[in-house]
Amino acid sequence: MIKRTAQTTWTKPAGGPVTGKPIARPNRTAEVQAYFPEFVRGLAVSMRHFFKNTKEMMLGQKPDPVLESLEEGVTTICYPEERRPYPERFRGIHRLTLRDDGSPRCVACLCCSTACPAQCISIEAAEYPPGDSKRGYERYPKTFVIDELRCIFCGFCVEACPCDAIRMDTGIHAVPYDSRDQFIYRKDLLMEFSGRDGSRKSANPRHEPGDPTHPGLSRDHMEH
Amino acid sequence: MATIKIDGREIPFEQGDTIIRAAHRAGIDIPHYCWHPGLSVAANCRMCLVEVLPPPGRPAMQLDILRWDAKKGDYVPARKPKLVPACQQGCTPGMEVLSSTSEHVEEARSAVQELLLLNHPVDCPICDQAGECRLQDYWLEHQRTGKRMQQEVVHKPKAVVFGPTIVYDAERCIICTRCVRFCEEVVQDPVLSVRERGNLNEIVVSPGKQLDHDYTLMTEHVCPVGALTSVDFRFKARVWFLRSARTVCQGCATGCNAYLDYDPRNNTPYRHRPRDNEHVNKYWMCDEGMLSYKRAVENRLTSALVGGEDATIEDALDAVKEQLAGFGDDASRVAIVLSAQHSNEDNYALLTLTRTFVGAKNLYVSGRPLGRGDKILMSEDKNPNTRGVMQLAGSMAPKPIAALLDAVKAGKYSFVIALGSELEVDEKEALGVLSKLKGLVTIASHDGPLVRAAHVALPAAAWAETDGTYVNRQGLAQRSEPALRPRGDATPGWDLVTRVGKKLGYAMTFKSLSDVRRALSAETRTDGGANGAARTDADRAATKPEVSA
Repeated sequence: MIKRTAQTTWTKPAGGPVTGKPIARPNRTAEVQAYFPEFVRGLAVSMRHFFKNTKEMMLGQKPDPVLESLEEGVTTICYPEERRPYPERFRGIHRLTLRDDGSPRCVACLCCSTACPAQCISIEAAEYPPGDSKRGYERYPKTFVIDELRCIFCGFCVEACPCDAIRMDTGIHAVPYDSRDQFIYRKDLLMEFSGRDGSRKSANPRHEPGDPTHPGLSRDHMEH
Repeated sequence: MATIKIDGREIPFEQGDTIIRAAHRAGIDIPHYCWHPGLSVAANCRMCLVEVLPPPGRPAMQLDILRWDAKKGDYVPARKPKLVPACQQGCTPGMEVLSSTSEHVEEARSAVQELLLLNHPVDCPICDQAGECRLQDYWLEHQRTGKRMQQEVVHKPKAVVFGPTIVYDAERCIICTRCVRFCEEVVQDPVLSVRERGNLNEIVVSPGKQLDHDYTLMTEHVCPVGALTSVDFRFKARVWFLRSARTVCQGCATGCNAYLDYDPRNNTPYRHRPRDNEHVNKYWMCDEGMLSYKRAVENRLTSALVGGEDATIEDALDAVKEQLAGFGDDASRVAIVLSAQHSNEDNYALLTLTRTFVGAKNLYVSGRPLGRGDKILMSEDKNPNTRGVMQLAGSMAPKPIAALLDAVKAGKYSFVIALGSELEVDEKEALGVLSKLKGLVTIASHDGPLVRAAHVALPAAAWAETDGTYVNRQGLAQRSEPALRPRGDATPGWDLVTRVGKKLGYAMTFKSLSDVRRALSAETRTDGGANGAARTDADRAATKPEVSA
C-alpha cells in the first residue's frame, strides 16, 4: 500500500493534473541566433587576461596581493607559490617559549589544556631532577603534546597561559602533511619554533628560577 | 534551645559554642583560615571578623580611626565598631551578629585578604593547592581592592623538606598554625612551631627532628593554602580534573570515611583524603590510610588464572567445574574461606553458596596480618571488614587461616573455595600445605599468596571499582562507592561467586548488586549504612571534589 503523505504547498497534489502559466520563449533575434559575435567577445576577455598576466609576469608588475584582494571581482593567487601576508594577529601553529637557559617557560600548570575547547593539548607534569636549581619549587612538562588536527586555533591556550609559555605567533599555519601522526606536535618540536621575527625568547621577562635576579632557595636542605 | 541571630537568621547553639561553630553547624559560611572544627582556636588569621551588635539600649563600642578618602586624597577621621573574631567569641542567648550584611565586616575581610596576599608569591600555576585554595576563593569573594604594596615581596625559604612526606613553602604560608596545632593536639607530637615575627615568620621543624609521625599527610590536608604539599601528590594532577567518590578507607578496621579523588579520563586514583564523620574518624586519617589508595591499582589481578596461566573468565569457570568435580558426595571435604578484605556483599554471596547449596560447615577467614595500631585512629587489625564477616557468619564462627592449614595438613579437606588473596601466615609454608589440595579456587582482586597457591583464580573488582559495605571495628556498616572502572577482566566478587555457583549447577539467583543487598538486609538488617541513599553515576560525575572545613 502506498503511503500517503500529507499535502503541503511543496508537494505535487496527488492525482491532479499539473497546472501552471506558460511562459513565452524569448524572441530569437539574429544577434542571439548567430552565436559567433558572443564567442569572439568571450575570447577577447580571455585574451585580455592572458596578455595582462603575461605582461605583469614578464615585467614583474604583479599588484600587491592584499590590495588586489580588496578590489572588486574575483582575484586569485597562485598558492602556495604566492601567499598573501598574514595579519599581525594571525594565529599560527603553537610554539613554546624558552628561558635564558633553554628550558621551557612552561610550568605544566595545565591551564591551557583546561581552557582548550577542543581538548587537543595533553601535558604530563614532572619535577626537576635532584641537583637542578629549580628542583623543589618548579615543575616542567615531561611531555607536551598538541594535536594540531584537533586544534581549532581559538587561541584560548595562549590567553590562559600565566607564564607566557605558549604562543601562536609563528606565522606558520598548519602544513598539509600526508599522515595523521605528523600533526601530533611534541615538546621538542614546539620548542624549536621561533616567533615570526625569528626570536625564541619571550618578550615578557620575569624573575625566573635560575636567573640571577631570582631570589631562589635560601635553605640547603631541599632533598626529597 | 538558645539561639543567636546571624544576619537576621536565627540559629540555635549549644552551651559553649563559638559563633563560627554555631554558624558552621547551621550551614552558614563565615570565611576562615585558621579555625578548624577539630582544633583549638588560635584566632590569628582574622578572616572571620564579625560585628556583634551591642545589647539593646547600650552604645556600640566604637574605635576612632583614620580612613583614606580618595576624593580628598587624605586620611579623614572616622569611627567604626570594634569587630570580633567569630571563631573565638562565644555565643550568648539573643546575641545579634552581622557577618555578610555589615559594611565594616566586608571592609575588614577585604583588608585581611589584602594583607595575607601582600607577600604571597601568587605562584598558583605551580602550586598544588590551586583550585581548592582558600586564598584563591576568598580573594574572589571578599577582596575588593587590588594590592596597594608596590615593593618587591618578602622572600622566604621555598621547598623546605619537613620530612619524608611533606615539603613546605614559607612564601605561600599564612601562618594559620593549623599544622602546628594539629601535630600538638591530635597527634601529640609537637614537632612544628613558628619562628620569627611579622612578615618574616615561618613554620619550622624542631631542630634535629623531622615531621615523620603517622599523620603527616593530615598536616598537609589541614593547610588551607598551598604551603604544605605532600611528596606523593606533588605535581601529579590538577584538582579540577579530579572527581571524588565517597569511599571507606581499606587500610585497617577503623574504616575511616574518605574521598577517593580520581581522574575519570585515565581511570587513575590520585589521593585519598578524609571525609568528616563525627562517629568514626572525625576529620582525620592516618598516612597509611591516605596512601592506601594506591592499592586500588597496584598489584591487581586483572585476568583469570588457571594453573598460573592467563585465561578468559569462561575458560576459568570451566576449570573451576573441573577442579571442584567430585566434592558433591561429601560436603565436609570442602572448606570455605571468607575474606576480611572483601565487602559484605562478596562474603554474603559466598556464604549463600555455602549454606544453601554446597552444604559445607567449615568456614575460615583470610586477611592481612596484624600491624601497628595507635590510640588515635589506626587499628592493629589491618582488614576493613573483619567484623562484617563475623556478623555474617554468625553461629558458624569462622576460624583463622592457621587452623585451615592444620586441617589441610591432617588431610581433612580436598577442596577450598576462597575469597581474597591475603594470608596472615608465612607464605612458603602456606603454599607447601595448600599444594596438597585437589582443588583450590580463589576469587581475589589482588595478587597474593592465596592467588599463587590457587589452581584457579578469578579476578574480582577492587574496592575502589565496586560498591560495597564494610563493617568497621565499632560495628558500623558503611558503604563505599565505586570510583574507577574495573581493570582488565575484573568483575564484582559477588558476581563471580554467583557464576561459580551456576557453573557448579546450583540455582544462584543474584543478578545485580541490589539483589544481594536485598537478601543481605533481609537477613542481617544492616542496610546502606552511614552514607544514605545510593547516588547514580551521572550524579557522581557531576560532583566536584569537596573541600571540608
